[in-house]
Amino acid sequence: MDAQIIRKALADISAEQDPTLKSAKLASLCSALWAEHGVELVVVGGSAIEILTEGAYASGDLDMCHATAATLPVAQRKEIMGLLDAKGGPRNWQVAGMYLDLLGPVESFARTPYRRVEAPYGSLLLMKPEDLLVERVLVSFYSGDNKTARDCAKILAAVALRKEIEMNWDEVRRLANLPEYRNLPECEKLVKEVANELKIKSPLHSD
Amino acid sequence: MNSKSKVPCIPIEGSISWEDWLKGRRARRESSKLVAPGIIRRRSSSSDRRLKKLFNGERGLPFTPIEKL
Repeated sequence: MDAQIIRKALADISAEQDPTLKSAKLASLCSALWAEHGVELVVVGGSAIEILTEGAYASGDLDMCHATAATLPVAQRKEIMGLLDAKGGPRNWQVAGMYLDLLGPVESFARTPYRRVEAPYGSLLLMKPEDLLVERVLVSFYSGDNKTARDCAKILAAVALRKEIEMNWDEVRRLANLPEYRNLPECEKLVKEVANELKIKSPLHSD
Repeated sequence: MNSKSKVPCIPIEGSISWEDWLKGRRARRESSKLVAPGIIRRRSSSSDRRLKKLFNGERGLPFTPIEKL
């Protein structure tokens, strides 16, 4: 990517005061730069949930993982993130007025593709909502009464039930039956509760 | 695209354009707030120290109000 384009992008992201736009734009720019070196990045966790739902959840750090098997050596990371005037490293940087954490290889059980947004500085990959939903339900039920995780699961279910994100419900069911989760009854219960609130039939119930 | 509501949908296959993603922001926020009203950002985490230093005592920038999405 041309140095002048990077400078303009950085100025735009630094000035951005909407946290979700700032996060999406920064992820887009970083993804484009890392892709030039053969590494595909994915937005994960709360950052991905925010871009998918606008649920007013994410904090001021952007979590990303690499989807490609290999990542970059420290010297190359330093070189790329140096182009962005990033401070810190090699896994956490302060850049353009927020934090970027590169967490390692992505963990996904869903067979659906990562969701893709054609963002201003390049294509942006987002964690699969099927994984995010089942994982948040797991956290909400298994660590006591975790209201934040439960709210996250509810907003994912709501935007999916209203067809603002496309969710593969068969895949949700399959994931929830995996040994890693084994939480289909909890998923069904939460999705039904949200569906009832929205007066929509739950796709996880056959009756 | 959701033909009923005309809100652009983030698809499984392919991609959503930036313009369509922006167009869908308000509808997604409205859907989210029907089931989890208000700001649901965690009140604390292991990143608090660095976040609060960068964001003047907060854990991130304030969210854009729904009417401005």
